[in-house]
Amino acid sequence: MMREQPALAARQPGAVHSALAVLEAVAQLGAGVSAQRLSAELGLPRATTYRLVNLLVEDEYLVRTPDLTGFALGAKVAQLAAVVAPPARLSSAARAVLAEARSALRGGVHVALFVDGRIAVLDADPDFPLSDEARLAREPARYALGRLMLLSQGDAGTPELERARDDLARWGATRQSGELVAASGCLAVPIRDASGLAAGAVAFSGPRHRVDEPGDVLSALRPAADALAPLMV
Amino acid sequence: MTALARAIARPDPVAGFGDRSPLHGLERRRIGIVDLAAQSVAAVAPAAAATTVVLLVAGFAPGATVAAIVAAAILSLGVARTVSQFARRFAATGALYTYTARGLGTRAGLAAGAAILTGYGAVAMFALLGGAYYATYLVAGLWPSIDRALVTALFVVGQGLLVAFVLVRGIRISARAALVVETLSVALIVVLLIALLVRIGPIDLTAVAGIGGADLDPTAFAAAAVIALTAFVGFESAATLSVESVSPLRNVPRAITGAVVLSGLLYVLAAVTQVAGFDALDADLASSASPVNELAEAYGLGGWGVVADLGIAASFLACAIGTTTALVRVLFALSRDGVLPAVVGRTHARFGTPATAVAWALPLITAVPVGVAATGIDTRDAMHVTIGVGAAGYIVAYILVCVAAPVFLRRIGESTVGATIIAGVSALALAAALVSFFVDDLAAGGTVVAVVAALIVVSGAVIVVLRRRHGPGALGAYDEPVAAQVLGGVVSPRHPDDA
Repeated sequence: MMREQPALAARQPGAVHSALAVLEAVAQLGAGVSAQRLSAELGLPRATTYRLVNLLVEDEYLVRTPDLTGFALGAKVAQLAAVVAPPARLSSAARAVLAEARSALRGGVHVALFVDGRIAVLDADPDFPLSDEARLAREPARYALGRLMLLSQGDAGTPELERARDDLARWGATRQSGELVAASGCLAVPIRDASGLAAGAVAFSGPRHRVDEPGDVLSALRPAADALAPLMV
Repeated sequence: MTALARAIARPDPVAGFGDRSPLHGLERRRIGIVDLAAQSVAAVAPAAAATTVVLLVAGFAPGATVAAIVAAAILSLGVARTVSQFARRFAATGALYTYTARGLGTRAGLAAGAAILTGYGAVAMFALLGGAYYATYLVAGLWPSIDRALVTALFVVGQGLLVAFVLVRGIRISARAALVVETLSVALIVVLLIALLVRIGPIDLTAVAGIGGADLDPTAFAAAAVIALTAFVGFESAATLSVESVSPLRNVPRAITGAVVLSGLLYVLAAVTQVAGFDALDADLASSASPVNELAEAYGLGGWGVVADLGIAASFLACAIGTTTALVRVLFALSRDGVLPAVVGRTHARFGTPATAVAWALPLITAVPVGVAATGIDTRDAMHVTIGVGAAGYIVAYILVCVAAPVFLRRIGESTVGATIIAGVSALALAAALVSFFVDDLAAGGTVVAVVAALIVVSGAVIVVLRRRHGPGALGAYDEPVAAQVLGGVVSPRHPDDA
């Protein structure tokens, strides 16, 4: 805890530190804790604490309980874990499979695992990097990778996911074609664990026509996904 | 492993959150800070007020026009800061109504609702009348033989239809329409004022600011500041777009404060120009009929008078859009709280706008100005009464929200000395302003006071009926976070009637 800290103001660099301390304290004290209690617990001036919690609520790292008096952690804090988690590495056998797929396809080939409803990118193509990894985390339903993850969780109901389900039945892959950038698209082939669930994916991003007519790309990605499965999950 | 890491890895289930917001149905998180600020600025209509209110202020305190405007701006900032205490903590389309209900309970909440609906409704009528007045004036210049009453009524109806169309068609369309029209009007007025300032040449700032004027009468100064305050009302209206705004808890307070600062700067520019211009001419500002036009003539910018008229007409149209946008969202909130019939809270399936509330409100808002034109009442007199009644409605709602804020903050355990002082001082100053406003009106015939008194009786009776109909349940539904936004959130049936 932060009792030894000098007085902190919400606009000073120390604010980041204090903000994390507030999140930690909400995690420890449990949902429904009041701002006054947090201020006492952290030894922060009350006005500072109120400003900090309001800033955290603005960014949805905290949410107010419906009666407005207490706070709970926002679903968004799970993204913090993705930021600070140590990067996992693929085994050299898996990297050899991936290198072969990359040399066969002009375009980005990426490998990701689905962890607790999040997409953990294990190996992004260094020559064709992911367009916007933060947005992939924020709006998964806009990407082939995210649609595959959402389907594997059992999400349904939006037109995007209905289309993705059809794609998965027809091609064994989810797709996104020209929805983010007009000339490009992406598709994702599941990496299935022993029980047959999609635990991750091999994804391709490149020109839109190769996603619209995916035969070529899939003939390289499907064997890669099958070969990666025992090496990763 | 820290508690945070543990919570992320294995979240404890958190109950008490619903699966959708009580304010569902509106387009969510659609408009950014610029469109949001445009909503507040449009409702204030600074381009129209800059040319008309300065004249009225000068009439009350000739030596302290700028000082009175600055005093009104500071008071408005205090109210903006107090409104932001709510707006940064939760998003509610009912804005002042919901805030007051959360702080002071049902009765005060409904009173604030009636007051702010009066404010938005009367100012919307004022704006429709103003737009029609200027449009008729321009048309009469081309065809002098027209039937003015008929043309005025037609312009009111035309504007009403236009407002209804953009309001139903989607928040992005209406916010963008208000932004474009208001930017146009402010730009025209600013260009004209700066052109005038350049022509006027060096000015004596201490004389213009009214500093050191030994003969300043405090009563006159207060009256002038109250008139100046009426030029600021409407700045809080961005709060009614909380649900439709991106990052509302951050952006709504910024939009509200920004609208006050922007309007204040424009008024000071307008006041300095007009005071200095008339000083340089050795003429009396307070006795001028149309100061900007007269200055433009005197300084060789005669053709620019049309520019100013166009700017003012545009400002009125934006004001009609802005105030009606806010009004229908308060009606929507009252319906979702169960005060008004559920049908009023219906939203358009495709556009996500409170379309039924638009259909209820706009016929009335249009009918009153049409009736004014049809019965041959002078448009300028009707504008004077509607803006007076509207300003009184706003000020009453501001007083209530300033009283509610410290109570609300103490209830949620987040009271601070600074917030309490700002809210308390603002409430007292506003109450004094309201009394002074009524005293001035009584001296001038008391039409506004008579209308306000009638409205108090009517809304008091309506509130009694609605309270009985609503039952004992608390008011103040807001855009609650849903379970999906909470780490470990579990959907709980909190709204049994919310099917």
